[in-house]
Amino acid sequence: MKQKIGVYICHCGANIADYIDVEKVKEVISGQQGVYLARTTMFACSDSAQKEIEEDIKSNQLDAIVVASCSPKLHLQTFRNAAMRGGLNQYNYVQVNIREQGSWAHSDRPADATEKAIRLVKAGIARVAESKELTPLKISAENKVAVIGAGVAGLRAALELADMGTEVFLIEKEHFIGGRTSQWGRLFTSEQTGEEIVEHLYRDVIDHANVHLYTGARLVSRSGSVGNYNLELKITPRYIKEACSLEDFDKAIEACPVEVEDEFNFGMNKRKAIYKNYASEFPHLPAIDMENCTRCGKCVEICSYIDLDQEQQTVNITVGSILVTTGFDPYEPEEGEYGYGQHDGIITLQQFKRLLELSGDRLVYKGKEIKTVGYIYCVGSMQIKGDKKYCSRFCCTSAIHAALETHNRFGVKSYHLNRGIRTYGKQEMLYTESSLNGDVYVEFDPKKEPIVTNEGNKMMIQVVDLLTAKETLDIPVDLVVLVTGMVPRKDNSIAEILKIPIGRDKFFNEIHLKLRPVETVIDGVFIAGASQSPKNITESLKSSLAAASKANSLISKGEIELEPTLAMVHKDLCEWCGKCAEVCPFGAITRTQLNGKEIAAVNVANCKGCGMCLPVCPTDALDLEGYTNREIMSMIDALID
Amino acid sequence: MTRTQYDALVIGGGIAGEEAALNLANMGFSVVLVEKDLSLGGKMIHLSKVFPTLDCSACITTPKVSETVRHPNIRVYTYSEAKDIRKQGENRFFADIVKKPRYVIEDDCTGCEACEKVCPVVVEDQYQYDLVGRKAAYIPFSIANPRVAVIDIEHCILCGACEKACLARAIDFTQEEEIIPVEVKAVVVATGYDLFDAQKLPNYGFSDYRNVVTAMQMERQLVPTRPFNSVLRPQDGRMPESIAYVLCAGSRDETVGNPICSQICCMYSIKQAQLLMGALPMADVTVYYLHIRAFGKGFNEFYQQAKGMGVKFVKGKVAKITEKDNGNLIVRYEDVYKGKVKETEHDLVVLSTGILANKGISAMFRDIELETDPYNFVKQTDELANPSRTSIPGVFVAGAASGPMDIPDSILSAGAASSETASYIRRVS
Repeated sequence: MKQKIGVYICHCGANIADYIDVEKVKEVISGQQGVYLARTTMFACSDSAQKEIEEDIKSNQLDAIVVASCSPKLHLQTFRNAAMRGGLNQYNYVQVNIREQGSWAHSDRPADATEKAIRLVKAGIARVAESKELTPLKISAENKVAVIGAGVAGLRAALELADMGTEVFLIEKEHFIGGRTSQWGRLFTSEQTGEEIVEHLYRDVIDHANVHLYTGARLVSRSGSVGNYNLELKITPRYIKEACSLEDFDKAIEACPVEVEDEFNFGMNKRKAIYKNYASEFPHLPAIDMENCTRCGKCVEICSYIDLDQEQQTVNITVGSILVTTGFDPYEPEEGEYGYGQHDGIITLQQFKRLLELSGDRLVYKGKEIKTVGYIYCVGSMQIKGDKKYCSRFCCTSAIHAALETHNRFGVKSYHLNRGIRTYGKQEMLYTESSLNGDVYVEFDPKKEPIVTNEGNKMMIQVVDLLTAKETLDIPVDLVVLVTGMVPRKDNSIAEILKIPIGRDKFFNEIHLKLRPVETVIDGVFIAGASQSPKNITESLKSSLAAASKANSLISKGEIELEPTLAMVHKDLCEWCGKCAEVCPFGAITRTQLNGKEIAAVNVANCKGCGMCLPVCPTDALDLEGYTNREIMSMIDALID
Repeated sequence: MTRTQYDALVIGGGIAGEEAALNLANMGFSVVLVEKDLSLGGKMIHLSKVFPTLDCSACITTPKVSETVRHPNIRVYTYSEAKDIRKQGENRFFADIVKKPRYVIEDDCTGCEACEKVCPVVVEDQYQYDLVGRKAAYIPFSIANPRVAVIDIEHCILCGACEKACLARAIDFTQEEEIIPVEVKAVVVATGYDLFDAQKLPNYGFSDYRNVVTAMQMERQLVPTRPFNSVLRPQDGRMPESIAYVLCAGSRDETVGNPICSQICCMYSIKQAQLLMGALPMADVTVYYLHIRAFGKGFNEFYQQAKGMGVKFVKGKVAKITEKDNGNLIVRYEDVYKGKVKETEHDLVVLSTGILANKGISAMFRDIELETDPYNFVKQTDELANPSRTSIPGVFVAGAASGPMDIPDSILSAGAASSETASYIRRVS
């Protein structure tokens, strides 16, 4: 039992003290058994307050401390470090949450909030009194990272990690790399094309000895934990052994009789079953889409390196950490949404960007020259009902940028039917430029959406314009572009395999937008780019580079410290029944012999401290370090006292 | 003169500078961090709760500050500026850190505030955005780091009262500027931004009208360490009942030389409006806006939440504000959705001032030019592949030094800068 406990009650400025009478809490708990000193403090996490805690520990030889403040999610480690600097074992520290579970939850009932805080602090004191000195576990960590998704975010992070000396496995489910960026054509701000950006990154990545690129590869299972994740990949073959001449490949593609809808161009044209999405695409080898291939053998006749009998391969890799950069899907409008799929003159922004890439001197869609375009914004974003209440962030700027391009290249006039233009920061200048070009901006109420009809040779958009005091306008255009936003990937198997939390918007969720913006609650699994929320290219790169530095500092030292929260067996109480071994999800419990008696043994490398084994033990022979039955029971006693 | 060697020089000790320094230090690099202000923490340490999660800003900043000053790989100089940053050979920079005198011996000061109590001089407190006064001998603010006193020599009358009161004998009027020469392999510019000066908007009457305040002044009234423990209007200390927010005050406005969007004002105004609904349940809050730019993760939902709480949003540019005898303000604007020019009376007006580039950055370099964009922010020379790269190889940019940015974006940008800096240092080492 700890006898010299220091207790600190935090005001958290006004966050706690406005609702909880911290002085009263201090007064009441000062008399608790084992409490040697109790103080209140304005911000316990401030440097000066931490120094005071350290000084108190040293000068009073405190044997344990309690800080009653915010959630341990925020500052457990802050105060553990303070305890250590004062000379205490960090596990002789308990944090009591009187903010999220106190003042904030009960701001309407301050007296009760104070009473609750008193009890919570008493329980914290009771727990710390029973706490033991523990040593963090140290496990070895592979200085290797699996980057899943070879779009720009993944490519850039892979390159950076490789430069930092980390071995990278870059895993791409498609046969070609570059992700959405390679589909995106001309880009704000540099006017480079997506293809150019991807080419530049690909050359650096492929030349790097530390990067292993797998295309056509899917993650199918995961085991192990931070430092040592074992990943199983299934590699779909390209059905091509090695390069014959590029000319032969071109002939082989020409010879292929199968034509399917070209997904890369969002169905704007057809491609063959042996294909490349664009001429300079990486890797340079084409791939065969076996789902649609008829095995007619025409391509094999031209190029003997084509091998239709290649088989799927399984690759197993071990990595210290995983970075998920799986990106987004463009929102696919529903049949009939603003007339989509019902009239010929309506396409999505993604399709329009491909059309611009595929166009020469004239902008022609389905045989018709386009001279006027009507953009309808926020399609699939900022919806009143459903998951898609979020703003997709990139689309206002992207649509305006496309309008500028069409103005400059083809002399197109654009109408922007929007819900408030969001060209934040320097992107504002594009909006200004487009306005000066004579583009017309019309704002509509989401409850009164524009109606698109087909009138002869024109598409007619009828809209009630909020900017002209609700005048109804009929705007004839040659083409309607639905400015479609970003949605999470339809195929979300990665999230299930890696257990990545999903937010309300269905994108991957970080631990904390500001404190740990690229980390997930799964140790060693990082997220970046548009898999996390809509982002433009620069923003995606920033997050993936940030994740690269976090992953590198986590694993590059060769070992990682882990919580010593492990199951342990009270050898005298155990009567081996095997129930614990049955429920353990990690296979960490085995049977062993001790002086002729069969008992359970815990394998510390596998145990995750989940506590599943505890309640099934009929003799209470199992305990969890750091959360022992004694600690928990004493907390309960204090709470109901 | 010996030149101390570090791997990286980080200029600016706000959230971006700290994040970049900590990332580099955690990857094993040695860092010298220079902050021109008296305390680390930048703008963020002065904020109340931050959007869109309404976290307590101090609770996020202070531990980062504390981690930065304690990190064995980081050396911090506050109240100091980097100057004469120049190339030395192929892959090295020389720089001189100018440490300004505090007239207080940092190591001896205990932060007891005895000097502050006896100092007879009262001037406007810059950390409370002039809402209240401070002494000429003062601790910058309660959660400052380092938490040591400084003598504001410009206003000090040299009465010596502080010297007599200081038991630690930490006051030293003989202190002079100190130069610390350093040699580094890379530089991270994380100098943040300046606030737009509301006095440059004569139509809005800031500093002429008693009840027109800036958003930063409102922010200081909403923080946990707020001066009045409530929100009061300056003229008579009355609790306001009808508060107006004027967005794009000094942003998206060619006439004041700042044509771009400041990216943060919509959201901080929406946040303040929500906090006001809690602090002053009886007050009406009206936000006058051009477009609401709620673009980040959780931002649009946060905007909808404010609407749900009863914050009124009016689309229209405020043309002019006039003051009535009782201090109330008439806001004249075009109500765009109604197609009418209107006038509405409020008893407090908050100007959501925008942000500008911190213009001093380029002057820190000698013989090499750190290029800026047309708005004086540090130019990103390869934004679509290397977002932190600048015109000088080995110099990287983090946070709002490269353009308007909110806190989550600044932190990611700093993460990117540390990454690019780390691999650069490894390449040239």
